[in-house]
Amino acid sequence: MTTPVEIEHLYKSYDRGGVKFWSRTEAKPVLEDISLRVGEREILGLVGESGCGKTTLAKVVLGLEKYQSGSVKVNGLELKELTKAGFKKLRRQVQVVFQDPYSSLDPRQTVRQILCEPWDIHALYADGAQRENALRELVRAVGLDAAHLNRYPHEFSGGQRQRIAIARALALEPKLLVADEPVSALDVSVQAQILNLLKDISRRRALSMLFISHDFAVARFLCDRIAVMYRGRVLETAPAEELLHNPQHPYTEALLSAVPVPDPQLQKKREPVETKTQRKRGSCPCPYAARCRYYQAAQCRVPLELKQTQEGHFCACAVLPFQKEKSLYAV
Amino acid sequence: MNAREDILLSVEDLRVSFRSEEGKTEVLHGLSYRLPKGKVLAVVGESGCGKTVHALSLLNLLPSGGEIAAGHVYYQGKDVLSLPPQELRRLRGAEIAMIFQDPMTSLNPIRTVGSQITETILAHTDCTKLQARARAMRLLKQVGIENPRKRMDEYPFQFSGGQRQRIMIAMALCLTPGLLIADEPTTALDVTIQAQILKLIKNLQQKNHMSAVFITHNLAIVADIADEVLVLYGGYCVEEARADELFAKPLHPYTQGLLHSLVSLKRKEEHLPAIEGYPPAPGTPKEGCPFAPRCPRAWDKCHDRLPPLFEKNGRRVRCWLQEKDDNSGRN
Repeated sequence: MTTPVEIEHLYKSYDRGGVKFWSRTEAKPVLEDISLRVGEREILGLVGESGCGKTTLAKVVLGLEKYQSGSVKVNGLELKELTKAGFKKLRRQVQVVFQDPYSSLDPRQTVRQILCEPWDIHALYADGAQRENALRELVRAVGLDAAHLNRYPHEFSGGQRQRIAIARALALEPKLLVADEPVSALDVSVQAQILNLLKDISRRRALSMLFISHDFAVARFLCDRIAVMYRGRVLETAPAEELLHNPQHPYTEALLSAVPVPDPQLQKKREPVETKTQRKRGSCPCPYAARCRYYQAAQCRVPLELKQTQEGHFCACAVLPFQKEKSLYAV
Repeated sequence: MNAREDILLSVEDLRVSFRSEEGKTEVLHGLSYRLPKGKVLAVVGESGCGKTVHALSLLNLLPSGGEIAAGHVYYQGKDVLSLPPQELRRLRGAEIAMIFQDPMTSLNPIRTVGSQITETILAHTDCTKLQARARAMRLLKQVGIENPRKRMDEYPFQFSGGQRQRIMIAMALCLTPGLLIADEPTTALDVTIQAQILKLIKNLQQKNHMSAVFITHNLAIVADIADEVLVLYGGYCVEEARADELFAKPLHPYTQGLLHSLVSLKRKEEHLPAIEGYPPAPGTPKEGCPFAPRCPRAWDKCHDRLPPLFEKNGRRVRCWLQEKDDNSGRN
């Protein structure tokens, strides 16, 4: 069995364009020294603020963005070495669900056309009756019915559209699903339906998933493991439950403290950790140093490195993981 | 209830309809509430339930095609909807300020941030340009924008999303309004920035004794900031209660469903108790309770007749269960 995703020491920066001669500074990397692994049937959550590079990382895994150095293996294939034909083959195994179901479905195609397009491209289910059966099964799997097949996306609500997008991603029976904030554009009552659906489907179809979210509660519900990203780096990874019970990186703690809880009494007692810029980062290698409340000039100078602090728990902080006290914001 | 003079805003039987090719559709069916001075009311509901339309009609700002078919909005005893345009203009901005949902589109991209804030101050007070500028700078500092002297002369694109939203807030608060209407002010923001902005609004609200109508779909934010809660569904108020009472014991099945379907940070769940079905599209003609098609406890009567707002112990609930059995409001 091959590992669905294996990333080692990945670096990526965007070319700024313009005349090379004049730009003295190197392009700033948007992904820096990232090593991650998504195992067989595992759901890995990527959590972080906007602009931290979660979506860029997903695009790299999908082969939609190039990268400068490091290795990204999807189903055992190194993406850098893949030819066009190789990519087409890989796409049968890796599919994606985007955040906004209003812009990710072609408004001029019926649901039938949307769902059949992947099959046309990969020459599957050429036989009419067979295809009809497969279609019916597919829409049933995502909780829609066959009557919906001849309608256009605008006739559906946000939740139903996201179901269509999920059906499209499942059409080729992929092994890996990349889901980029698939529920953040949905209403609360519908969000729960889609989360349940994603969980059921990933189990029933033995899917692996790279799940991007900015919401810890959502990530906890769905993910086996969570990686916390900040400014293009992974600062902490741990099994989902462990991360929430025992957050070790100051940034993870700050993020957790900012999540409001739907309980007036409890919420009044919670005080978010101050995360304003407090000092110049200088030559400190830690990207969070400028906002960190545990900053210690001497200790924070060592190169950033994910160190194992407990079984399966990795944290890239030079100060905090060695403190024994439990975080106030652990759940 | 409070004495008459303590009521800052009172809305009576507000009905809003939109004209379309098929004729008129009513989207808000008679909304009534009172907001005491210094309190925060949260209006909760899913997309299409009429919460934004309600906010816009408070200041008579409905887009073309929309009209207030009936009802009154009283601010400090004055009927806002029948004010002559000049007086209405004086009220907007100075007395009642509004923050819109999208900070990316509500600032003018070709004017400096400073000029946009001072414009409001100059329009409503008779201070000099220099005084207005000083005041604007103080405000920017207050909402946490560093180096305001320099940033006053920058354009919106030079600010991040969270900063732009804070500029909107500074603009709304520049004349210390008596009432702030905030339409999903933090939906587009990260949790850390959201926590900062909520804290800022709470501080200002306590310091200036300001009232606020807070429109949101996020119940966790409601728990954080609201004194009173109004739950809207399909253009009807379905439940109204004090925030702590609502969270302790929601009476309407929709409110119960909403609270249950929230993904919790506090416990790991296997399956989320989602509300089945989708919210109704605005203007869907129907008889009976708008929530009946999705309600797990609906019976014949719910589908035939619209329940009135039952009033009990200072709470209001639009549900036949209240009439059927006093003890049926299980949590």
